[in-house]
Amino acid sequence: MTKVAEKEELGLDKAKLDKIISNYTGKPGSILGILEEAQKINSHKYLTKGVLEYIAQKTDIPVSRIYNIITFYAFFNLTPQGEHSIIVCRGTACHTRGSKNLLDFLINSFGFKEEDFSQDGKSFLTTKDNKFTIKTVACFGQCALAPVVEVDGNIYSRVTTEKLRKIVKGIK
Amino acid sequence: MAKNISLKIDGKPCNCEASLTVLEACQKNGINIPTLCYLKDINKEAACSICLVEIKGAKNLARSCVTSVKEGMEIATNTPRVRNARKLNMELLLAGHPKDCLCCDRNQSCELRKLAFDMGISQVRFPKTIKTELPLDTTSVSLVRDPNKCILCGRCVSVCSGIQSVKAIDFSGRGKSSKVTTFFDSGLANSVCVNCGQCLLVCPTGAITEQGATDGVWQELADPKKFVVVEVAPAVRAAIGEEFGMPAGTLATAKMTQALRKLGFAKVFDTQFSADLTIMEEGYELIGRIKNKGKLPLITSCSPGWIKFAEHFFPGILGHVSSCKSPQQMFGAIAKTYYAEKYNLDPRNIVVVSIMPCTAKKFEAKRPEMKSAFAYWKDKLSLKESESFYDVDYVLTTREASRLIKEAGIDFINLAGEDFDAPLGVSTGAAVIFGATGGVMEAALRTAYEVLTGKNLEKVDFMELRGLTGIKVAEVDIDGLKVKVAVANSLSNARVLLDEVKAGRSPYVFIEIMTCPGGCIGGAGQPIPTDEAVRLKRIEAIYREDKNKALRKSHENPAVQALYKEFLIKPLGEKSHHLLHTHYTERKEVK
Repeated sequence: MTKVAEKEELGLDKAKLDKIISNYTGKPGSILGILEEAQKINSHKYLTKGVLEYIAQKTDIPVSRIYNIITFYAFFNLTPQGEHSIIVCRGTACHTRGSKNLLDFLINSFGFKEEDFSQDGKSFLTTKDNKFTIKTVACFGQCALAPVVEVDGNIYSRVTTEKLRKIVKGIK
Repeated sequence: MAKNISLKIDGKPCNCEASLTVLEACQKNGINIPTLCYLKDINKEAACSICLVEIKGAKNLARSCVTSVKEGMEIATNTPRVRNARKLNMELLLAGHPKDCLCCDRNQSCELRKLAFDMGISQVRFPKTIKTELPLDTTSVSLVRDPNKCILCGRCVSVCSGIQSVKAIDFSGRGKSSKVTTFFDSGLANSVCVNCGQCLLVCPTGAITEQGATDGVWQELADPKKFVVVEVAPAVRAAIGEEFGMPAGTLATAKMTQALRKLGFAKVFDTQFSADLTIMEEGYELIGRIKNKGKLPLITSCSPGWIKFAEHFFPGILGHVSSCKSPQQMFGAIAKTYYAEKYNLDPRNIVVVSIMPCTAKKFEAKRPEMKSAFAYWKDKLSLKESESFYDVDYVLTTREASRLIKEAGIDFINLAGEDFDAPLGVSTGAAVIFGATGGVMEAALRTAYEVLTGKNLEKVDFMELRGLTGIKVAEVDIDGLKVKVAVANSLSNARVLLDEVKAGRSPYVFIEIMTCPGGCIGGAGQPIPTDEAVRLKRIEAIYREDKNKALRKSHENPAVQALYKEFLIKPLGEKSHHLLHTHYTERKEVK
């Protein structure tokens, strides 16, 4: 396989992936770490079918089990993600402090409709220009700071609509 | 000796081994606790919370299937609190389960339905759980999965992984979007599923069923132009009676034969005829490999689940697998060539229906290479590619066959019984035992001994090859030549032997592999329930039938002898090569 064709199938650099896998070899619970880093090195922050099959083959873990893992954790993505990710916590504490309003604000301000977003923990919306992805999680474990929103890996606490507008504007 | 502890169950002092679970301790003391997801030695997911008990001093009710006994423990299995909690959990399960029981495949054998009744559930206090209707997985030619009927007990996942080591399915998603599925929901046909259907056998509901073929068979039977013949696998006769309320272990050979004739089959033939034929071909293949120092061990090829398993997981050792087709496929090829010629029938009008204890046989019959009779006739009748036909047209499970019989209103239990038709219904005891693990090996040894030595084999029973043990080994003395053989049933056991073959350190000359626990009598086409006790009874029936046969060695089958004399000429000959032997497909290797 040529390097270009390989990259197309895996969606990432195979040499880098091999390195990740070998770094984790022999460590307990290695699969989570491998999947996390493999997702990170994909330019659209997601795992392709090809990558998962490749990891399965290398780690001797059945593909059905890998599919189990990646569909269990909201963290793993199976479709291309926007350049920036905005994750709204929908746990109980955040909900009581108004995180639904924050989510609705985002949905509206990016021109989506509420029914586009089904809250099964795995759904998300990506803007047409591939700039932003809006997601939810069940809990960040930061309930004392509720409501919490994560933007590009940074956690913002006690977020209000006004605060969120500024954060989004900052990265736009 | 295992350590014993004392405890109290329902106020009664008793003793048990310290290693037991509460469930096991109760069972040993004659107390029946309802279970749903639990499956002895296979599934301990503790997913359903039906087997709850009260333990003195514990705040919460305990799931007895995963709770260990402790010295001095006081267990209560029948208090209002326990009964109410069990009922509540059952009602929650039922709230999310479809209520179309009347038309469900598992109407008569559903564990969920039976348990709900036994627990006295007269109403479900919860509204129907809002669930989006999920699509059925109909990709496989053997099995259908209906995720809407799935209660997520995990039995199918455990059996696929633990017993078969195939791991085609697993849970996906989380919370209310949990389901059992294949990689990327691509369907069983696009996975490493070997179609063994053990998942179907352990499913407590109708979430997994076979791909039905009864409609097609009814249509063919009603068509006056068609000559519809039926072949029946050995294991079917040792189990079909159960579908009509007869006890497990009943031999229903004669009743079954008569019932099939009543259904309108032109000829009722026996897969045992072609099982004898398989022994001739495979026996000579083995003898040839021993004499010519060919690839050894030779591995049997009758079990189609095992064949697909080898193609996926051990493509490098396919050269060890016998090139013989399975008895089902040999039958189809012979029926549409030899039999057609002998009785002057147009092969295009012959319909071969096969009744099997198996779901993988449905896949086997539809393998693209299984059109040997068409290849045989193609030039002779100047047939076009578009007129091609399979050697075996329809495969029905034991359950489906019994459904045909019920639908036709045949009083199965009170039939007097009839014999199979000649010549493709003539068989020996060696063919009967194909239905039990170790049987193909035993049958092959009976013939190989006599062919290799030219002497009469006095002791035809190879007791060390019988029984439910996962891997059985034996050393057979063939007139001074010591031959080591091994028999495996279930694919996780097979894997042990195959790893040795792959590493080049297998000490055996001949290996028999059966996909399903217990062999074909425990196949996924068989009546439900199929548990260990039932398997043992069916095996006993198989050996009883063998003992009652006048002839017990395949090479003594007069109809098979005639077939060689009139048509095939000799084992492994030119015609055999085209009609009775096959090749395998290397599939994507999975470690």
